[in-house]
Amino acid sequence: MRVTFERSGGFAGLIVTTSVDTATLPATETEQLQHLVQSANFFGLPAEIPAAPQPDRFQYEITIEDGNQHHTVRVGEASVPESLRPLLNWCMEKARRG
Amino acid sequence: MARNKRCKPSLNHICPICCILPPHMSDQIVLNGDSTQKEWALQSIRASEQFRERRAIVGALNFNVAIAGEKRRTIFDAGTGTDLPGKRVRGEGDPPTGDVMVDEAYDGSGATYDFFYDIFERNSIDSFGMRLDSTVHFDQKYDNAFWNGSQMVYGDGDGELFNRFTISIDIIGHELTHGVTQHEAGLVYKGQPGALNESMSDVFGSLIKQRTLNQTAEEADWLIGAGLLTDKVDGTALRSMKAPGTAYDDKVLGKDPQPADMSKIYTGKADNGGVHINSGIPNRAFYLAASEMGGYAWEKAGKIWYIALTDRLRSQSNFKRAANTTVTIAGELYGRDSDEKKAVQNAWKTVGVI
Repeated sequence: MRVTFERSGGFAGLIVTTSVDTATLPATETEQLQHLVQSANFFGLPAEIPAAPQPDRFQYEITIEDGNQHHTVRVGEASVPESLRPLLNWCMEKARRG
Repeated sequence: MARNKRCKPSLNHICPICCILPPHMSDQIVLNGDSTQKEWALQSIRASEQFRERRAIVGALNFNVAIAGEKRRTIFDAGTGTDLPGKRVRGEGDPPTGDVMVDEAYDGSGATYDFFYDIFERNSIDSFGMRLDSTVHFDQKYDNAFWNGSQMVYGDGDGELFNRFTISIDIIGHELTHGVTQHEAGLVYKGQPGALNESMSDVFGSLIKQRTLNQTAEEADWLIGAGLLTDKVDGTALRSMKAPGTAYDDKVLGKDPQPADMSKIYTGKADNGGVHINSGIPNRAFYLAASEMGGYAWEKAGKIWYIALTDRLRSQSNFKRAANTTVTIAGELYGRDSDEKKAVQNAWKTVGVI
Protein backbone atom coordinates (compact mmCIF):
# COMPACT_ATOMS: atom_id res chain seq x y z
CA MET A 1 0.00 0.00 0.00
CA ARG A 2 1.25 3.48 -0.91
CA VAL A 3 0.02 6.65 0.79
CA THR A 4 0.68 10.17 -0.51
CA PHE A 5 -0.26 12.97 1.86
CA GLU A 6 -0.30 16.75 1.51
CA ARG A 7 -1.38 19.45 3.94
CA SER A 8 -1.53 22.99 2.55
CA GLY A 9 -2.97 26.33 3.58
CA GLY A 10 -3.23 27.61 7.12
CA PHE A 11 -2.17 31.15 7.99
CA ALA A 12 1.44 30.16 7.22
CA GLY A 13 0.54 28.70 3.81
CA LEU A 14 3.13 25.91 4.16
CA ILE A 15 2.83 22.82 2.00
CA VAL A 16 3.73 19.70 3.99
CA THR A 17 4.00 16.43 2.05
CA THR A 18 4.95 12.84 2.78
CA SER A 19 4.83 9.50 1.01
CA VAL A 20 4.67 6.15 2.74
CA ASP A 21 5.12 2.71 1.19
CA THR A 22 4.24 -0.20 3.45
CA ALA A 23 6.99 -2.24 1.72
CA THR A 24 9.49 -0.15 3.67
CA LEU A 25 7.57 0.06 6.97
CA PRO A 26 8.02 -2.14 10.06
CA ALA A 27 5.21 -4.71 10.36
CA THR A 28 3.64 -3.03 13.39
CA GLU A 29 3.34 0.31 11.59
CA THR A 30 1.91 -1.35 8.47
CA GLU A 31 -0.73 -2.98 10.63
CA GLN A 32 -1.49 0.33 12.31
CA LEU A 33 -1.82 2.11 8.97
CA GLN A 34 -4.08 -0.59 7.50
CA HIS A 35 -6.30 -0.34 10.55
CA LEU A 36 -6.55 3.49 10.18
CA VAL A 37 -7.40 3.22 6.46
CA GLN A 38 -10.10 0.64 7.22
CA SER A 39 -11.71 2.51 10.10
CA ALA A 40 -11.78 5.68 7.97
CA ASN A 41 -13.59 3.65 5.26
CA PHE A 42 -11.17 5.54 3.03
CA PHE A 43 -12.15 3.94 -0.29
CA GLY A 44 -15.79 4.73 0.45
CA LEU A 45 -15.20 8.47 1.01
CA PRO A 46 -16.10 11.01 -1.68
CA ALA A 47 -13.20 12.47 -3.69
CA GLU A 48 -14.12 15.98 -2.54
CA ILE A 49 -15.65 16.57 0.88
CA PRO A 50 -17.31 19.96 0.48
CA ALA A 51 -17.23 22.67 3.12
CA ALA A 52 -17.93 26.34 3.43
CA PRO A 53 -14.34 27.53 3.24
CA GLN A 54 -12.98 29.24 6.35
CA PRO A 55 -10.03 31.56 5.80
CA ASP A 56 -6.62 30.25 6.92
CA ARG A 57 -7.72 26.70 7.66
CA PHE A 58 -5.71 23.70 6.47
CA GLN A 59 -6.51 21.77 3.32
CA TYR A 60 -5.68 18.06 3.02
CA GLU A 61 -5.18 15.79 0.02
CA ILE A 62 -4.51 12.11 0.56
CA THR A 63 -4.08 9.42 -2.10
CA ILE A 64 -3.93 5.71 -1.35
CA GLU A 65 -3.01 2.91 -3.76
CA ASP A 66 -3.66 -0.62 -2.51
CA GLY A 67 -3.67 -3.53 -4.96
CA ASN A 68 -6.09 -2.49 -7.69
CA GLN A 69 -7.70 0.19 -5.55
CA HIS A 70 -6.70 3.82 -6.06
CA HIS A 71 -8.45 6.76 -4.45
CA THR A 72 -7.82 10.44 -3.67
CA VAL A 73 -9.71 12.47 -1.05
CA ARG A 74 -9.53 16.27 -0.74
CA VAL A 75 -10.95 17.80 2.41
CA GLY A 76 -10.81 21.08 4.32
CA GLU A 77 -9.91 21.09 8.02
CA ALA A 78 -13.37 22.28 9.08
CA SER A 79 -15.14 19.29 7.49
CA VAL A 80 -12.79 16.38 8.21
CA PRO A 81 -14.96 13.36 9.20
CA GLU A 82 -14.14 12.13 12.72
CA SER A 83 -13.34 8.68 11.26
CA LEU A 84 -10.67 10.16 8.96
CA ARG A 85 -8.96 12.36 11.54
CA PRO A 86 -6.69 9.63 13.07
CA LEU A 87 -5.33 8.76 9.60
CA LEU A 88 -4.57 12.43 8.86
CA ASN A 89 -2.88 12.79 12.25
CA TRP A 90 -0.81 9.68 11.58
CA CYS A 91 0.32 11.05 8.18
CA MET A 92 1.09 14.46 9.69
CA GLU A 93 3.23 12.80 12.37
CA LYS A 94 5.11 10.91 9.62
CA ALA A 95 5.66 14.16 7.73
CA ARG A 96 7.00 15.86 10.88
CA ARG A 97 9.49 13.09 11.60
CA GLY A 98 10.62 13.13 7.95
CA MET B 1 -32.68 28.18 20.96
CA ALA B 2 -36.41 27.99 21.73
CA ARG B 3 -38.56 29.91 19.30
CA ASN B 4 -41.78 31.62 20.23
CA LYS B 5 -44.44 30.33 17.83
CA ARG B 6 -46.60 33.37 18.30
CA CYS B 7 -43.87 35.62 17.03
CA LYS B 8 -43.91 36.16 13.31
CA PRO B 9 -41.33 38.33 11.61
CA SER B 10 -42.94 41.62 10.77
CA LEU B 11 -41.57 45.08 10.40
CA ASN B 12 -44.28 46.38 12.74
CA HIS B 13 -43.57 43.88 15.45
CA ILE B 14 -40.38 44.22 17.39
CA CYS B 15 -39.32 40.92 18.89
CA PRO B 16 -35.57 40.67 18.62
CA ILE B 17 -35.16 37.59 20.77
CA CYS B 18 -37.18 35.15 18.74
CA CYS B 19 -37.13 36.63 15.25
CA ILE B 20 -33.68 36.74 13.84
CA LEU B 21 -33.23 37.83 10.28
CA PRO B 22 -30.67 36.43 7.89
CA PRO B 23 -27.73 38.83 8.23
CA HIS B 24 -27.83 40.05 4.61
CA MET B 25 -31.47 41.08 5.07
CA SER B 26 -30.78 42.88 8.34
CA ASP B 27 -27.87 44.70 6.73
CA GLN B 28 -30.02 45.85 3.83
CA ILE B 29 -32.68 47.13 6.19
CA VAL B 30 -30.10 48.95 8.26
CA LEU B 31 -28.83 50.60 5.11
CA ASN B 32 -32.14 51.33 3.41
CA GLY B 33 -35.00 50.97 5.89
CA ASP B 34 -36.88 53.72 7.71
CA SER B 35 -36.01 54.50 11.32
CA THR B 36 -38.32 51.89 12.88
CA GLN B 37 -37.14 49.23 10.49
CA LYS B 38 -33.54 50.18 11.14
CA GLU B 39 -33.94 49.93 14.89
CA TRP B 40 -35.59 46.54 14.57
CA ALA B 41 -32.96 45.20 12.19
CA LEU B 42 -30.13 46.43 14.39
CA GLN B 43 -31.73 44.71 17.35
CA SER B 44 -31.87 41.47 15.38
CA ILE B 45 -28.21 41.80 14.47
CA ARG B 46 -27.25 42.44 18.10
CA ALA B 47 -29.32 39.50 19.28
CA SER B 48 -27.74 37.03 16.88
CA GLU B 49 -24.28 38.19 17.91
CA GLN B 50 -25.14 37.89 21.58
CA PHE B 51 -26.35 34.34 21.11
CA ARG B 52 -23.05 33.36 19.56
CA GLU B 53 -21.53 33.58 22.99
CA ARG B 54 -23.86 30.76 24.05
CA ARG B 55 -24.56 32.22 27.44
CA ALA B 56 -28.18 31.52 28.20
CA ILE B 57 -28.52 34.59 30.35
CA VAL B 58 -31.37 36.34 28.64
CA GLY B 59 -31.52 38.96 31.37
CA ALA B 60 -27.97 39.98 30.67
CA LEU B 61 -28.58 40.55 26.97
CA ASN B 62 -28.14 44.09 25.88
CA PHE B 63 -30.15 45.12 22.86
CA ASN B 64 -28.96 48.69 22.80
CA VAL B 65 -27.31 49.73 19.60
CA ALA B 66 -23.55 49.70 20.08
CA ILE B 67 -22.14 53.17 20.26
CA ALA B 68 -19.79 53.95 17.40
CA GLY B 69 -16.19 53.96 18.59
CA GLU B 70 -16.89 51.60 21.50
CA LYS B 71 -15.27 48.24 21.14
CA ARG B 72 -16.78 45.08 22.59
CA ARG B 73 -13.98 42.55 22.99
CA THR B 74 -14.29 39.15 24.62
CA ILE B 75 -11.48 36.63 24.92
CA PHE B 76 -12.18 32.94 25.45
CA ASP B 77 -9.83 30.09 26.40
CA ALA B 78 -10.28 26.73 24.63
CA GLY B 79 -7.91 25.07 27.15
CA THR B 80 -6.13 23.18 24.30
CA GLY B 81 -9.48 21.70 23.24
CA THR B 82 -11.35 22.39 20.00
CA ASP B 83 -14.78 23.46 21.26
CA LEU B 84 -15.58 27.09 20.39
CA PRO B 85 -15.73 29.61 21.81
CA GLY B 86 -14.44 28.10 25.11
CA LYS B 87 -14.40 29.61 28.59
CA ARG B 88 -14.79 33.39 28.83
CA VAL B 89 -11.66 34.81 30.46
CA ARG B 90 -11.59 38.55 29.67
CA GLY B 91 -14.27 41.04 28.68
CA GLU B 92 -14.19 44.67 27.59
CA GLY B 93 -12.55 46.87 30.22
CA ASP B 94 -11.34 43.96 32.35
CA PRO B 95 -7.72 44.21 33.58
CA PRO B 96 -4.94 42.08 32.03
CA THR B 97 -5.10 38.42 33.05
CA GLY B 98 -1.38 37.67 32.97
CA ASP B 99 -1.95 35.03 30.27
CA VAL B 100 0.12 36.49 27.44
CA MET B 101 -2.10 35.06 24.67
CA VAL B 102 -5.28 36.37 26.27
CA ASP B 103 -3.80 39.83 26.68
CA GLU B 104 -2.22 39.95 23.21
CA ALA B 105 -5.52 38.92 21.62
CA TYR B 106 -7.29 41.63 23.64
CA ASP B 107 -4.80 44.37 22.80
CA GLY B 108 -4.42 43.33 19.16
CA SER B 109 -8.14 43.24 18.46
CA GLY B 110 -8.39 46.65 20.16
CA ALA B 111 -5.66 48.09 17.91
CA THR B 112 -7.44 46.62 14.90
CA TYR B 113 -10.80 48.10 15.91
CA ASP B 114 -9.18 51.50 16.52
CA PHE B 115 -7.41 51.41 13.15
CA PHE B 116 -10.59 50.82 11.15
CA TYR B 117 -12.57 53.30 13.24
CA ASP B 118 -10.01 56.13 13.37
CA ILE B 119 -8.82 55.89 9.77
CA PHE B 120 -11.95 54.79 7.87
CA GLU B 121 -14.75 55.52 10.39
CA ARG B 122 -15.65 51.85 10.26
CA ASN B 123 -17.47 50.60 13.36
CA SER B 124 -16.00 47.08 13.75
CA ILE B 125 -15.89 44.16 11.34
CA ASP B 126 -19.42 44.49 9.99
CA SER B 127 -19.49 48.32 10.32
CA PHE B 128 -22.41 47.93 12.77
CA GLY B 129 -20.36 47.49 15.94
CA MET B 130 -20.05 43.71 15.85
CA ARG B 131 -18.55 42.05 18.92
CA LEU B 132 -14.91 41.01 18.62
CA ASP B 133 -14.63 37.48 19.96
CA SER B 134 -11.30 35.66 20.12
CA THR B 135 -10.43 32.18 21.34
CA VAL B 136 -6.86 31.39 22.42
CA HIS B 137 -5.14 28.09 23.33
CA PHE B 138 -7.10 26.30 20.61
CA ASP B 139 -6.19 22.61 20.20
CA GLN B 140 -2.82 21.09 21.15
CA LYS B 141 0.36 22.61 19.70
CA TYR B 142 -1.84 24.02 16.95
CA ASP B 143 0.29 25.75 14.29
CA ASN B 144 -2.38 28.10 13.02
CA ALA B 145 -4.80 30.98 13.46
CA PHE B 146 -8.05 31.40 11.54
CA TRP B 147 -11.30 33.30 11.16
CA ASN B 148 -14.28 30.91 11.33
CA GLY B 149 -16.86 33.32 9.95
CA SER B 150 -17.75 34.89 13.28
CA GLN B 151 -14.67 34.90 15.51
CA MET B 152 -10.87 34.68 15.63
CA VAL B 153 -9.09 31.52 16.78
CA TYR B 154 -5.41 31.21 17.77
CA GLY B 155 -3.21 28.19 18.42
CA ASP B 156 -0.27 27.97 20.85
CA GLY B 157 2.13 26.82 18.11
CA ASP B 158 4.23 23.68 18.49
CA GLY B 159 7.13 25.52 20.16
CA GLU B 160 9.62 23.85 17.80
CA LEU B 161 8.91 25.78 14.60
CA PHE B 162 6.14 28.18 15.59
CA ASN B 163 5.60 30.37 18.60
CA ARG B 164 2.11 31.40 19.76
CA PHE B 165 -0.04 32.89 16.98
CA THR B 166 -0.95 36.04 18.93
CA ILE B 167 2.72 37.10 19.01
CA SER B 168 2.52 39.42 16.02
CA ILE B 169 -0.15 42.13 15.81
CA ASP B 170 -0.36 41.83 12.03
CA ILE B 171 -1.64 38.25 12.44
CA ILE B 172 -4.50 39.54 14.59
CA GLY B 173 -5.20 42.31 12.07
CA HIS B 174 -5.02 39.71 9.28
CA GLU B 175 -7.69 37.52 10.88
CA LEU B 176 -10.05 40.41 11.64
CA THR B 177 -9.68 41.73 8.09
CA HIS B 178 -10.99 38.37 6.86
CA GLY B 179 -14.16 39.36 8.70
CA VAL B 180 -14.24 42.75 6.98
CA THR B 181 -13.75 41.11 3.56
CA GLN B 182 -16.53 38.64 4.34
CA HIS B 183 -18.90 41.55 5.00
CA GLU B 184 -17.74 43.63 2.03
CA ALA B 185 -16.25 42.34 -1.26
CA GLY B 186 -16.90 38.73 -0.17
CA LEU B 187 -13.94 37.54 -2.26
CA VAL B 188 -14.31 33.77 -2.72
CA TYR B 189 -11.51 31.84 -1.03
CA LYS B 190 -10.08 30.21 -4.16
CA GLY B 191 -7.72 31.09 -6.98
CA GLN B 192 -7.06 34.78 -7.70
CA PRO B 193 -10.06 36.14 -5.74
CA GLY B 194 -8.86 34.00 -2.81
CA ALA B 195 -5.31 35.37 -3.15
CA LEU B 196 -6.78 38.90 -3.17
CA ASN B 197 -8.74 38.00 -0.03
CA GLU B 198 -5.48 36.86 1.60
CA SER B 199 -3.64 39.93 0.34
CA MET B 200 -6.25 42.30 1.81
CA SER B 201 -5.70 40.61 5.17
CA ASP B 202 -1.92 41.01 4.88
CA VAL B 203 -2.23 44.63 3.69
CA PHE B 204 -4.45 45.78 6.56
CA GLY B 205 -2.65 43.52 9.06
CA SER B 206 0.60 45.23 8.12
CA LEU B 207 -0.99 48.70 8.19
CA ILE B 208 -2.31 48.06 11.71
CA LYS B 209 1.20 47.14 12.81
CA GLN B 210 2.69 50.19 11.06
CA ARG B 211 0.20 52.53 12.72
CA THR B 212 0.83 50.96 16.13
CA LEU B 213 4.58 51.55 15.65
CA ASN B 214 4.00 54.95 13.99
CA GLN B 215 6.06 53.92 10.95
CA THR B 216 6.12 55.40 7.45
CA ALA B 217 6.16 53.16 4.38
CA GLU B 218 9.93 53.55 4.28
CA GLU B 219 10.43 52.65 7.95
CA ALA B 220 8.12 49.60 7.97
CA ASP B 221 9.50 46.06 7.64
CA TRP B 222 6.53 44.90 5.48
CA LEU B 223 6.80 41.45 7.08
CA ILE B 224 3.86 39.25 8.00
CA GLY B 225 4.30 37.14 11.12
CA ALA B 226 7.63 38.53 12.33
CA GLY B 227 8.47 36.76 15.61
CA LEU B 228 6.21 33.81 14.86
CA LEU B 229 9.02 31.48 13.76
CA THR B 230 11.21 30.14 16.58
CA ASP B 231 14.99 30.62 16.81
CA LYS B 232 15.43 27.13 15.36
CA VAL B 233 14.05 28.25 11.98
CA ASP B 234 16.09 30.04 9.32
CA GLY B 235 13.70 32.87 8.55
CA THR B 236 12.53 36.28 9.69
CA ALA B 237 8.77 35.92 9.09
CA LEU B 238 6.19 34.02 7.05
CA ARG B 239 5.78 36.48 4.21
CA SER B 240 7.50 39.58 2.93
CA MET B 241 5.31 42.08 1.10
CA LYS B 242 8.39 43.95 -0.03
CA ALA B 243 10.23 40.91 -1.37
CA PRO B 244 7.87 37.93 -1.69
CA GLY B 245 9.71 34.60 -1.64
CA THR B 246 12.46 35.74 0.77
CA ALA B 247 10.85 35.46 4.22
CA TYR B 248 12.38 32.08 5.09
CA ASP B 249 14.59 29.36 3.67
CA ASP B 250 14.81 26.50 6.13
CA LYS B 251 15.69 22.81 6.05
CA VAL B 252 12.41 21.81 7.71
CA LEU B 253 9.99 24.47 6.46
CA GLY B 254 11.51 24.69 2.98
CA LYS B 255 11.69 27.97 1.08
CA ASP B 256 9.11 30.76 1.04
CA PRO B 257 7.06 29.87 -2.10
CA GLN B 258 5.59 33.31 -2.84
CA PRO B 259 6.02 34.71 -6.37
CA ALA B 260 7.02 38.38 -6.69
CA ASP B 261 5.33 38.82 -10.07
CA MET B 262 2.96 37.17 -12.54
CA SER B 263 5.71 35.25 -14.35
CA LYS B 264 5.92 32.83 -11.41
CA ILE B 265 2.23 32.60 -10.47
CA TYR B 266 1.33 29.27 -8.87
CA THR B 267 -1.30 27.28 -10.80
CA GLY B 268 -1.57 24.10 -8.71
CA LYS B 269 -4.49 22.93 -6.58
CA ALA B 270 -2.89 23.07 -3.12
CA ASP B 271 -3.93 25.80 -0.68
CA ASN B 272 -7.23 26.44 -2.50
CA GLY B 273 -5.30 27.27 -5.63
CA GLY B 274 -2.41 28.99 -3.86
CA VAL B 275 -4.29 31.69 -1.93
CA HIS B 276 -1.38 32.09 0.54
CA ILE B 277 1.17 31.75 -2.28
CA ASN B 278 -0.08 34.10 -5.00
CA SER B 279 -1.06 36.76 -2.45
CA GLY B 280 2.61 37.76 -2.81
CA ILE B 281 1.80 39.45 -6.13
CA PRO B 282 -0.90 41.92 -4.92
CA ASN B 283 1.00 42.28 -1.61
CA ARG B 284 4.04 43.56 -3.50
CA ALA B 285 1.85 45.83 -5.65
CA PHE B 286 0.54 47.46 -2.47
CA TYR B 287 4.04 47.84 -1.05
CA LEU B 288 5.33 49.40 -4.31
CA ALA B 289 2.39 51.84 -4.56
CA ALA B 290 2.66 52.88 -0.90
CA SER B 291 6.44 53.32 -1.11
CA GLU B 292 6.25 55.45 -4.23
CA MET B 293 3.64 57.67 -2.55
CA GLY B 294 5.70 57.90 0.65
CA GLY B 295 4.53 58.88 4.13
CA TYR B 296 2.18 56.74 6.21
CA ALA B 297 0.95 53.91 4.00
CA TRP B 298 -2.56 53.93 5.47
CA GLU B 299 -3.21 57.53 4.48
CA LYS B 300 -3.28 57.20 0.69
CA ALA B 301 -2.53 53.66 -0.54
CA GLY B 302 -4.52 52.23 2.38
CA LYS B 303 -7.48 54.44 1.58
CA ILE B 304 -7.46 53.39 -2.09
CA TRP B 305 -7.34 49.71 -1.17
CA TYR B 306 -10.04 50.16 1.50
CA ILE B 307 -12.45 51.73 -1.00
CA ALA B 308 -11.72 48.90 -3.45
CA LEU B 309 -12.44 46.31 -0.74
CA THR B 310 -15.61 47.90 0.57
CA ASP B 311 -17.15 49.47 -2.56
CA ARG B 312 -15.78 48.17 -5.80
CA LEU B 313 -14.47 44.60 -5.71
CA ARG B 314 -16.88 41.69 -6.02
CA SER B 315 -16.71 38.03 -4.99
CA GLN B 316 -15.07 36.86 -8.23
CA SER B 317 -12.71 39.79 -8.80
CA ASN B 318 -9.27 38.79 -10.09
CA PHE B 319 -5.88 40.57 -9.98
CA LYS B 320 -6.54 42.53 -13.17
CA ARG B 321 -9.86 43.77 -11.82
CA ALA B 322 -8.16 44.81 -8.56
CA ALA B 323 -5.44 46.61 -10.51
CA ASN B 324 -7.85 48.53 -12.76
CA THR B 325 -10.12 49.32 -9.81
CA THR B 326 -7.36 50.71 -7.59
CA VAL B 327 -5.98 52.78 -10.49
CA THR B 328 -9.47 54.22 -11.07
CA ILE B 329 -9.96 55.02 -7.38
CA ALA B 330 -6.55 56.70 -7.18
CA GLY B 331 -7.57 58.88 -10.14
CA GLU B 332 -10.90 59.77 -8.51
CA LEU B 333 -9.31 60.66 -5.18
CA TYR B 334 -6.14 62.42 -6.31
CA GLY B 335 -6.68 63.41 -9.94
CA ARG B 336 -6.35 61.81 -13.35
CA ASP B 337 -2.74 62.88 -13.77
CA SER B 338 -1.77 62.57 -10.12
CA ASP B 339 1.41 60.99 -8.81
CA GLU B 340 -0.75 58.73 -6.67
CA LYS B 341 -2.51 57.29 -9.72
CA LYS B 342 0.84 56.80 -11.46
CA ALA B 343 2.21 55.07 -8.36
CA VAL B 344 -0.65 52.55 -8.39
CA GLN B 345 -0.26 52.00 -12.14
CA ASN B 346 3.50 51.52 -11.85
CA ALA B 347 3.05 49.07 -8.99
CA TRP B 348 0.69 46.75 -10.88
CA LYS B 349 2.88 47.02 -14.00
CA THR B 350 5.99 46.03 -12.06
CA VAL B 351 4.31 42.85 -10.81
CA GLY B 352 3.08 42.11 -14.34
CA VAL B 353 -0.68 42.36 -13.78
CA ILE B 354 -1.27 45.27 -16.21
